[in-house]
Amino acid sequence: MRTLFICCFLCFACVDGIAQPAHKKTTPTKNGYVKITFKNTINGQPVVLNDSVYTNPFRETYRIKKLKYYISNFQFSLVSIKKIVPVKRCFLINQADDSSLSITLEVPATRYDEMGFLLGVDSVLNTSGAQTGALDPLNDMFWTWHSGYIMQKLEGTSPQSNIVNNKFEYHIGGYEGESSVLQTIWLNHAISVEKGKTTSIIINADIGKYWNAAYPVKISETPVCSTPGALAKKLAGNFSTVFSIADVIQ
Amino acid sequence: MKIKITIALLLVVLGGTSFLSDAPPKLHYLKLTFPKDWPKPPKDIFATNPLTEEGFELGKKLFYDGRLSKDGNVPCASCHQQFASFSTYDHDFSHGFNNSFTRRNAPPIFNLAWMKELHWDGAINHIEVQPLAPLTAANEMAESIENVLRKLNADTAYKRMFKAAFGDATINSQHMLKALAQFTGSIISCNSKYDQVKKGTASFSMSEEQGYKIFKAKCNACHTEPLFTDNSFRNNGLDINLQLADKGRMGISNDPSDSLKFKVPSLRNLYLTAPYMHDGRMNTLQEVLQHYRNGINATQPTLDSLLKNRIAVSKKEEVDLLAFLYTLTDTEMVKNKRFAATATYKMHEGPH
Repeated sequence: MRTLFICCFLCFACVDGIAQPAHKKTTPTKNGYVKITFKNTINGQPVVLNDSVYTNPFRETYRIKKLKYYISNFQFSLVSIKKIVPVKRCFLINQADDSSLSITLEVPATRYDEMGFLLGVDSVLNTSGAQTGALDPLNDMFWTWHSGYIMQKLEGTSPQSNIVNNKFEYHIGGYEGESSVLQTIWLNHAISVEKGKTTSIIINADIGKYWNAAYPVKISETPVCSTPGALAKKLAGNFSTVFSIADVIQ
Repeated sequence: MKIKITIALLLVVLGGTSFLSDAPPKLHYLKLTFPKDWPKPPKDIFATNPLTEEGFELGKKLFYDGRLSKDGNVPCASCHQQFASFSTYDHDFSHGFNNSFTRRNAPPIFNLAWMKELHWDGAINHIEVQPLAPLTAANEMAESIENVLRKLNADTAYKRMFKAAFGDATINSQHMLKALAQFTGSIISCNSKYDQVKKGTASFSMSEEQGYKIFKAKCNACHTEPLFTDNSFRNNGLDINLQLADKGRMGISNDPSDSLKFKVPSLRNLYLTAPYMHDGRMNTLQEVLQHYRNGINATQPTLDSLLKNRIAVSKKEEVDLLAFLYTLTDTEMVKNKRFAATATYKMHEGPH
């Protein structure tokens, strides 16, 4: 009889363990939230797809049709005690989808000195088979003919482009060895997070910088990148310079 | 009495909980089995995709379903025919959507769990994402992932099967791809006469035995037992077809030292997979051996070092070698009903 009761109790315990997500069993957390908003801008103004005409530093005019990029593997660092809090999440920022421009992460409440994130999708996620959510191939950010995620996509038109329909198309990717375009972006700024509260971080992505960072991109000369390799690396290097923290609001 | 109450309570607890947690229907787990003396696969392809009867059956249905292609005529099985060891029988290139041709010879499907990369150039890094390539290629199935999901989601039979396999009746790309991987990853070739000889349940003829010795001396370095490939990329000295201008592995790695390198194909089921080479340029095994004997283009800088001096196979040796290679034919795999289209959804014959 007693054995049966113990059995019954164990079943309860067991079922409880399965039904409850692990984190709910721990004591109440001392966590808060950061809401990160990406503002894609050119000349200080929000990027307007299709309609706005922009001019790059080489006096080439262009319209943007698509602007999408992956942000993942966040890190929040406390410089004084040399501690880094990692947050392994992956998001697709898509200028055509307002709801994708803000993301919220849960982090321990404290005062951080800087934040970092991976611009792109890490090699593990690139080689782990079929994914869903932000990484669903339906998002049109996966190369079907050469497995791997397109980390950044910038497409549009320009009269200076000499290819079909005056297009330009930069599909920037590559996660392996020499051809890896992955870089961690560190943004230096005090970020205080209080328990249970949300701190907003506004990140400005100045897309205008893309054209003339370490590598000058003239649409007339380089209208297309569609494979991993040396060109993709240079373009990714340019892309990595566009981010800065515009504001932190508690 | 007390015991009865306790049992009743126990039943309520267990029954009640399974209802509350909306647990998926019971799954029938399967295990990938292969001979004990085989090497372990480099990674467990089912580590994040537990192999189940439900997933396998669903993957099979998808594999034989023309609706995965744009016009309904090009299921996976149109280029991967079971009787040809899941290659395209007697075709150098396979037929795709709208009278198009593929650019390479369709490789057979078996023992995929041992391949770190798939395709002749190793373009695909995981079995689960492989179907995305033929599915979306204009000269293969020519369909979009959105459309395929729309078609599948409109079919209640599929919704039932996805619910059974993955606990979710809403069909998404991830579950579709995982189901296909469960089917294709389960196709194992390990019961040819060669395998039976290794197990001790059959024995080679004199000629086969002699051929085996020749094989071990002259072929095994690349077509390594027991998979009969080392799954590496090598240039075997074929002249480039200028119309195709196919540089193989280099197209993926951008590395000039990979120029003209292609994946070493397995020799298993060789007699069922003619024509041969990445572009199907050779119709017979005699032609293949003639190439290794004196057809190799030794001027190519990336030619495999093992082929610099060609492979001397005399005509007498050729007879025995071919006899041995025939023992790699796995009739059981090719006729296994488990891998065949079932009557209720017999595949639409593609254009051949």
